[in-house]
Amino acid sequence: MSKEIVKEEAPPFSCVVSAENRGLASLRSVRWRLNLGILPPSPSVDDLRRVTADSRRRYAGLRRQLLVDPHVAKHGGSNSPDLVMDNPLSQNPDSTWGRFFRNAELEKMVSQDLSRLYPELGSYFQAPGCQGMLRRILLLWCLKHPESGYRQGMHELLAPLLYILHVDVERLSEVRKIHEDHFIDKFDGLSFEENDVTYSFDFKKVLDSMEDEVGSQGNSKKVRSLDELDPEIQTIILLTDAYGAEGELGIVLSEKFMEHDAYCMFEALMSGAGGSVAMADFFSPIPAAESQSGLPPVIEASVALYHLLSIVDSSLHSHLVELGVEPQYFALRWLRVLFGREFSLHDLLVVWDEILTADNSPLHKDSGNEESSCFNLLNSHRGALIAAMAVSMILYVRSSLFATENATTCLQRLLNFPENINLKKLVAKAKSLQILALNSKLSSSSFAFDVAYNRSKSAVSGHNLSPGPVSPTTPLSLVPDSYWEEKWRVLHKAEELRQDSLDKQAPSGKRRWSDKVKLVLSRTESDPSPARAEKYKKGHTSSVRRSLLEDLSRHLGWEEDTETGDCFDTSNIEDRQSIEVQVEGQNETSIDSICTAEERCDSGSGTSVSEENSSVFSDPASSGSSTTNDHENDTEKSSVASNLSSDEIDDHHLNNPEDSPLLVSSPPEDVLLNYPHENESSGKMVSASKQKRHLSGRFQWLLKLGRNNVSQEASDKGVITETAKSANRDGKSNTSDSSTAGAPRNSSPTIQRDVVDQNVMGTLKNLGQSMLEHIQVLESVFQQDRVQVGSLDNSAKNNLVGKGQVTAMTALKELRKISNLLSEM
Amino acid sequence: MVLVLALGDLHIPHRAADLPPKFKSMLVPGKIQHIICTGNLCIKEVQDYLKTLCPDLHITRGEYDEETRYPETKTLTIGQFKLGLCHGHQVIPWGDLDSLAMLQRQLDVDILVTGHTHQFTAYKHEGGVVINPGSATGAYSSITYDVNPSFVLMDIDGLRVVVYVYELIDGEVKVDKIDFKKTTTTTHSAH
Repeated sequence: MSKEIVKEEAPPFSCVVSAENRGLASLRSVRWRLNLGILPPSPSVDDLRRVTADSRRRYAGLRRQLLVDPHVAKHGGSNSPDLVMDNPLSQNPDSTWGRFFRNAELEKMVSQDLSRLYPELGSYFQAPGCQGMLRRILLLWCLKHPESGYRQGMHELLAPLLYILHVDVERLSEVRKIHEDHFIDKFDGLSFEENDVTYSFDFKKVLDSMEDEVGSQGNSKKVRSLDELDPEIQTIILLTDAYGAEGELGIVLSEKFMEHDAYCMFEALMSGAGGSVAMADFFSPIPAAESQSGLPPVIEASVALYHLLSIVDSSLHSHLVELGVEPQYFALRWLRVLFGREFSLHDLLVVWDEILTADNSPLHKDSGNEESSCFNLLNSHRGALIAAMAVSMILYVRSSLFATENATTCLQRLLNFPENINLKKLVAKAKSLQILALNSKLSSSSFAFDVAYNRSKSAVSGHNLSPGPVSPTTPLSLVPDSYWEEKWRVLHKAEELRQDSLDKQAPSGKRRWSDKVKLVLSRTESDPSPARAEKYKKGHTSSVRRSLLEDLSRHLGWEEDTETGDCFDTSNIEDRQSIEVQVEGQNETSIDSICTAEERCDSGSGTSVSEENSSVFSDPASSGSSTTNDHENDTEKSSVASNLSSDEIDDHHLNNPEDSPLLVSSPPEDVLLNYPHENESSGKMVSASKQKRHLSGRFQWLLKLGRNNVSQEASDKGVITETAKSANRDGKSNTSDSSTAGAPRNSSPTIQRDVVDQNVMGTLKNLGQSMLEHIQVLESVFQQDRVQVGSLDNSAKNNLVGKGQVTAMTALKELRKISNLLSEM
Repeated sequence: MVLVLALGDLHIPHRAADLPPKFKSMLVPGKIQHIICTGNLCIKEVQDYLKTLCPDLHITRGEYDEETRYPETKTLTIGQFKLGLCHGHQVIPWGDLDSLAMLQRQLDVDILVTGHTHQFTAYKHEGGVVINPGSATGAYSSITYDVNPSFVLMDIDGLRVVVYVYELIDGEVKVDKIDFKKTTTTTHSAH
């Protein structure tokens, strides 16, 4: 392990351009020392050497002072130390023995941690020399900073620093081997041969030897001059020249002084070197002085992290908050050790390269600045990058986080970060998020610092986003989807069961359309979310129907269609038969009725709509063949409708009842996940164009349907439904909204308009109101139904219908509640 | 860096009730690695108390000890030093250096610790040290009533031992120290 050298391309870093030119980039220890502020950003090698030497002197002095050996007699000091104070049993805290015992305790704690450090790289880290160095460094730092003491985790911050120093020293020794000549101790410019004779003067060969010995730095013809080497090697040589500035103490890459250098780096890292992010803060339990929240810094930083996550991906954020996964459960370890435990050592070095490259100076100094983030962590580039890195890591495992409803599993995933990761991608994402984090001025002051802040806040921040700049698309919220999906599925199956004996000729398109309608309803009746809001903005008119259709088309347009009609139908038939009607009938009929009402509203003529409905509900549990035949037979609408239907089938197939609701929602999630990186505007364009196609196609089809229905009316199924609907139809046509009736005629031009900015709330309210109307209509329908049931002969149908009605009532009540909610919004 | 506490002749409960409070406050568990006790504790409770200070406890039998099964003499090796322990009432004349030296040669130890006289003494003698820690409680002895409480702490470090003497004189703790270096190393014996 110790032979491994990490070679990487030189990443650009802001501080020292000259250093880069001089090829210091591959020497991590030097680069990090520059980034941490230990070495000055000066182009001169001598300056570097001087500063290095000073820092080393400081460390040596500290060591002499603090590492106490009570046996060492104090020379030149007091003649006889006061033994009453200075004896081993002395209780006096100032006595050397007292200090000795305290140090011994500290050392014991440190040793405990060190023995468990990087066991997988034990050949380096568990070697006694290395352990001794680590122990001393930590001890001295803790003695120097008694207010913070030693906390577990500090050793993990120190270990990589020592490692990179070691790596660089190894590199140096390699360079030495290659370019041995330049390292030869030739302080006179002369080199001496093996024999002892200093002035070996062979008088015969005077001329030859003169040429050899006098010259630029070469002592033999083989050696090139220093300048001919590439700058990196040159720098290494200059830095390690034993006779440069400050002599041996100034050798920047020196094995002898690894401990000193590591201490300096560790101290700079912990104290922040005058910058904003100081690692020592993360270990302290007391809140920082200028903290607005009064929380310990690491908790505050965790909150900052979640804040950033909520901006970037509010659904994941709300999911985690829902599960009760507090940020500090995992962020404590991430932040305190600066991701040391999450990555392998080599990956970690890459990550730290990035973090340390980021500038640590605080961004907003004046407290009067309203816009400054109240999170200390986000107050500097480096801090923002750390937060961004953490969020990027969370996003990396987001699919597994969504897949579980258990807080423990989430934490397990977060705390056992996967081994084989695409580090470049992770880091690149972190960088992009860093910019976001720095610019985040959103409601940070209104952000509650309660550890369990509610989802409403996240919803608020989500809403704030919608008028804001383009942000990564947020997928639909989870819970409502699964609920409505479930309802739809149930509804669909029950409907199929009810329609055994009915006309099979109704085109598949019709049924599909109703299914689509249901789907649309299921989609739109869930909680408003930013994505929904955007959806609503896209050409949403006062017609609820149209908006639903648009939503559906958009949604379906996003879905990948893979399934065929056959698979879907056969599986669905099986499913339906296995599920009881009664349980699901309620849902079915409620949505059925809504569809009915909706469909009535939508089409221009009341008659066609109602008949359409009847035909829709008269759709039999058609065999797969019939549907496919119908599917293929459709002409004008086929291109559009079939797309829709296949999409829909796919969607339905995805919503296979065998899966748990969660998994049901996750495929759509995954599907949607494929699109978050799409440019939103282009997506809108695509979907808008699709909408136009779909809607124009659909309305053509509607008209066709109306015509078809009239012809098929005779062969339609149940007298009940027909009569009911006919009775209802009359009433409905009177009561139907003039706006909704008239609107469809204007639909095509309006649809062809692209994005119409509407008030989100207004449209939702409309939806709620229309739903309420529909519910009223339905209730009246079923009351009529009940009257007419008794007069029927067909007992089977009676049973089905009777059961359906009972359940329909309950379903209607639920629907009423939902509409109330929506209208309140 | 081994700290060894040497004390004895407490005579609790017969002649003294307890250690002086100032001594007691100094003796906290955790600092001391070994305790050697010359004898005359006299009761088991004292042994238990000493055990709480340090688990490694060595006692030799004094004439008033109620526990009969302590040995007469004991030797142990700590670091580079061999220590010998005996109560001292067996060696007559009591407290005589030459006689004690005989015992030291007999036991073949570098440091001999004995008591019974209730007086602190420490002699460097023939390449070795003979130490008498005195009485830790200041109990009167067969010889005299004028006894100052005292005990000894040895800091053994390699070839060097520093002997700290703690005495309670007029209510104040006085500390003194003696340095002693050994010239030759010891091979570990099978004691």
